[in-house]
Amino acid sequence: MEYDLSFFSEMFVRTFSFWWVIIPAIFLGLVVGAIPGFSAANTIIILLPLTLAMDPEIGLTFMVALYASSRMGAGIPAILVNIPGTAGAAATPLDGYPMTKQGRGQQALAMSFFASISGGLFTTVIALLSLPWLSQIAYYLHSVEMIVIMFFGISLIATIAAKDTLKGLIAGFFGLMIGFIGTDVVYETPRGTFGFLELYDKVPLIPALVGLFAISEAFAIIERQSILTERGKAAMQNPGWSATFEGIRMAASRWWHITWNSLIGLVIGVVPGAGAAIASFVAYQQSKTYSKTPELYGTGHIEGLIAPESANNGVTSGTLVPLLVIGIPGGATAAIMLVVLQYHGVTVGPDLFLTSPELAFGPFTAMAVTYVLMILTALPLARYMSKITVISTIYMAPIIISFTLVGSFVPRAYLFDMNLALVFGVIGYVARKTDYHVAAILIGVILGPLMETYFLRAMKMSQGDIMVIFSSSIGNTLWVLLVISLALPYYMDHRRKKLGDGS
Amino acid sequence: MKKLELDVNRRLILKGSATALGLATVSSFPFGSSLAASFPARNIKVYVPTREGGGADRLLRAVTGVWKNYLSTNFEPSFFPGAAGRVGYEKYMGLAKDDMYELLFGNMGPEVLNWVVKKPTFDLSTFQYFAQVDSDPGILFVSRRSKFKSIDDVIAEGKKRVLNVGVSRLAHPATLGALALAKHTGAKFNPIPLSGGKNTRAGVATGEMDLGALPSGGIVSRKKSFKVLVMFSHKNPLPGRSENAPTMNDHFKTNMPSLIAGSRAFGIKKSAIAKHPDRFNTLETTLKKVFADPAFKKAYLKTKSPWEFIGYRGPEACAEYSRNISKIGQEFKELLSGKKT
Repeated sequence: MEYDLSFFSEMFVRTFSFWWVIIPAIFLGLVVGAIPGFSAANTIIILLPLTLAMDPEIGLTFMVALYASSRMGAGIPAILVNIPGTAGAAATPLDGYPMTKQGRGQQALAMSFFASISGGLFTTVIALLSLPWLSQIAYYLHSVEMIVIMFFGISLIATIAAKDTLKGLIAGFFGLMIGFIGTDVVYETPRGTFGFLELYDKVPLIPALVGLFAISEAFAIIERQSILTERGKAAMQNPGWSATFEGIRMAASRWWHITWNSLIGLVIGVVPGAGAAIASFVAYQQSKTYSKTPELYGTGHIEGLIAPESANNGVTSGTLVPLLVIGIPGGATAAIMLVVLQYHGVTVGPDLFLTSPELAFGPFTAMAVTYVLMILTALPLARYMSKITVISTIYMAPIIISFTLVGSFVPRAYLFDMNLALVFGVIGYVARKTDYHVAAILIGVILGPLMETYFLRAMKMSQGDIMVIFSSSIGNTLWVLLVISLALPYYMDHRRKKLGDGS
Repeated sequence: MKKLELDVNRRLILKGSATALGLATVSSFPFGSSLAASFPARNIKVYVPTREGGGADRLLRAVTGVWKNYLSTNFEPSFFPGAAGRVGYEKYMGLAKDDMYELLFGNMGPEVLNWVVKKPTFDLSTFQYFAQVDSDPGILFVSRRSKFKSIDDVIAEGKKRVLNVGVSRLAHPATLGALALAKHTGAKFNPIPLSGGKNTRAGVATGEMDLGALPSGGIVSRKKSFKVLVMFSHKNPLPGRSENAPTMNDHFKTNMPSLIAGSRAFGIKKSAIAKHPDRFNTLETTLKKVFADPAFKKAYLKTKSPWEFIGYRGPEACAEYSRNISKIGQEFKELLSGKKT
C-alpha cells in the first residue's frame, strides 16, 4: 500500500469526522488532567467498558484525544494555583505560577496552551512522517544512555540551587533520599520504609506531588487574602481577550524554542519507560542553559513556561511510536490502549501498517486533529479559567486540600497515601518558609528512583563494572553534551563579566 | 458539674441511638435465623495483590462474573498492589475475617517464591491456596531480530560469554527455569529484573537483553515480535502457537518439576476453613461448576489469553505446586536474594 499525500489527506478528513467523540474527550481530558491523581490512564481504565464497546478506530480516537488534552490540562492548576496535575507538569509552575501571582494568569495559560498545542501538533506530524526511523531510537537508548539523560534532568537541582547553593543542594539531596525509599529494583530489599508496607513500592508520586506543591501552597496562601500580589490584583480587574492574544503572540514569537523542546519530548517519549516528567525537567534545564537571560528563570519567564509544556506534549506522540511500530507501549496510557486493541483482536507491530493502516496511522492523525480542535475549544478557556485566581483564599485553601487529598487517594486507594500527602504538605510548607525550593525536592523524588533503576540495571548487566556507564558511544556523546551544558552557564557568566569589565 | 451532666446526657443519647439502630437492623431481617444458616448471605470480598486492570483483574472478573450466578451473590475485588504482591497478602492476613466472606486471588508461583526469599510477617502455615484457575508455563524467548534461532544457539553462545536474560523479577518461576537450565548446561545466564512483563518484553525487543524469561501467554500472543525457544513445563500446551517449542525436560533430558509461571489461584485463611467447612464446601463445589460453564469460556476468551491454560486444580494440587516451587526456590535462594551473584 502506498502512503502518499492523498492517503494522509483522506486519513485526516476521516479523523475530522470523529469530531463528535474528540470534543467531549478534550473537555474530559482537561478536567482529569487538572485534578492530581486523576490521570488519563486512570480515566481510560474507568471508561474501559465504554471504549471496548466502541468500534476500535473510534475507541482509539477517543483515548488519544483524552490523553493529549489531559497532558495540557495538567498544566492549568500548575500555572494558576501551583499544583501540577501530573508529574509531567511538575516543572510548569516554576515560571507559570509567578506569572499568575503577577496577575498574568490568563496570559500564562494562553502561552502554555499555545506551546502545548503547537509543540504537540508539530511532534505528531514529525512522528507520523518519520515512524520507521523514529522507532529505531528505542533500539539505541538503553539503561546506560538513560543514566546520562537522567543526569540532564537531575542537574536542574544545581540550576535551581543557583540562588542559594547550599539550600538548593540540601533540598535536592533530601528529595533524592526520599526517592530511594522502598525496595531496590534488583533484590527487592526494603530501605527506609519505616516498616510501612505501603512504601515498599517507592514513595508514591501523586501524594508527594500533591503534598509538596498543593497542600503546602494551601497552607501558605491561607496566610493572605489572595494568591495575587497587589499588582496582580490590579491587573486582574478587567480581564479581556487581549491578554490571551498577547500570550499567544509572545509564545508564537518563540517558535524555535517550542520546536526544539517538543523534539526533546518526542525523543524521550519514544524510549519505553521514560516519560513526561523526565522530558519536562530536561527541557527546562536545557532551556535555561542556552538562554540569554538565565537569571529570569523562576521569576515568571516565558521560556521557562513554554519549555516544559512543549516538551511534555512532545512526549505524548512519542509514547505511541514504540506501541504501534514494535508493539511495546511507551507509557502507562499507551499500555491501556494496547489492551483495548488486543480486545478487538488487533495485533500491533509492523504488520499493522499493512493490514490496518487506518489503525496504525489513526492514533497520530487523531492526535493531530485533537490539537487542531483544541485551538478552538481550549484556547478560549484561558480567559475564564484565570478567574479562579481571584477567589479568596478562605475558600480556595480548603477546596485545594480536599480535592487534592481525594486525588492522592485515587491511584492506589490507600488511606495511607492521604496521610502521606499531608506529611509532604508539612515538609513543603516548612521548606517554603525556610527558603528551601520544593521543586528541588520534587526533582529528587521523581528522578532519583528512575536514575537508580537504570543505574542498578546497568551495573547488574555489567556484573558490577562501574565503567559500563562509559561503554556506549551514544552514551559517551551524551556525557560530553552534559558536561558542556553544565559548564556553559559558568563560561557565559564569566564571559559576560569579562565583557562588562572591559566596557 | 454541668459538664458531667452533659456527658451523661450525651452517653444516654448515644446508647439510645445505638439501641434504636440495632433494633431497626434486626427488624429489617425478618428471616435472620434462616439467613445465618445459608451461605453466602452477602457479597464476597476478594483481595487482589496486584494493580487494577492487569491480567489477574481480567481473569478474576471472568471467573467471578460466572461464579456469582452459582452463589447468588456478588464479588467485590479490592486491589492492594505493591512489593510484588507482598502488600496484598499482608493486608489480607491482617484485615480479613475468617468467615469465608473474604478471599485472596493471587499468582502462586512468584508469590510463594516471595516468601522463600523474604519471610512474611504472618505465619505461612495459617494460609492456603484452595483453587488454581490457570497454568501458564515459564519460557525462554528471543526477539525475532535476534541472531539466536534455537535454544541450542543460546546455550552455545552462553558457554562463550555471559548472556543477559531479562526477567520480570528475580523471585519468579520463569527466572528459576532460566537458572536451572544454565546450571544443567553450563551456560552463563545473568538474570536482569526489569519489573514486569511489559518492561521485560521491551528489554528483549529493543535488544538490550539477549533473551527473556516470562510466562508464555504474553509472548505467544506476540509471535510476530518474539520466538519461544524452550518451555519449563512437562509438556507444551500450545504447540501450534509456539512453533513446537521443546520443553526443557524433553530437550535436555532433565527431570524438572513443571515451572508454571502464571498460576492464579484463590487463597484463604485456614482458620476460615476450620470454622466453616460447610461454607468452604459451597465455595469449592460452585467454583468447579464455573469451569464447565460455556459463559466462562466466552468471557475468558475475550481477554485474548489461551484457553489451554484454564483448568481447576484443588487444594492438594495447589499445595504440591507450592512445595515444588519452594524447593527449587531454596536451591537458588542465594542467587535470588543477592547473597551470591
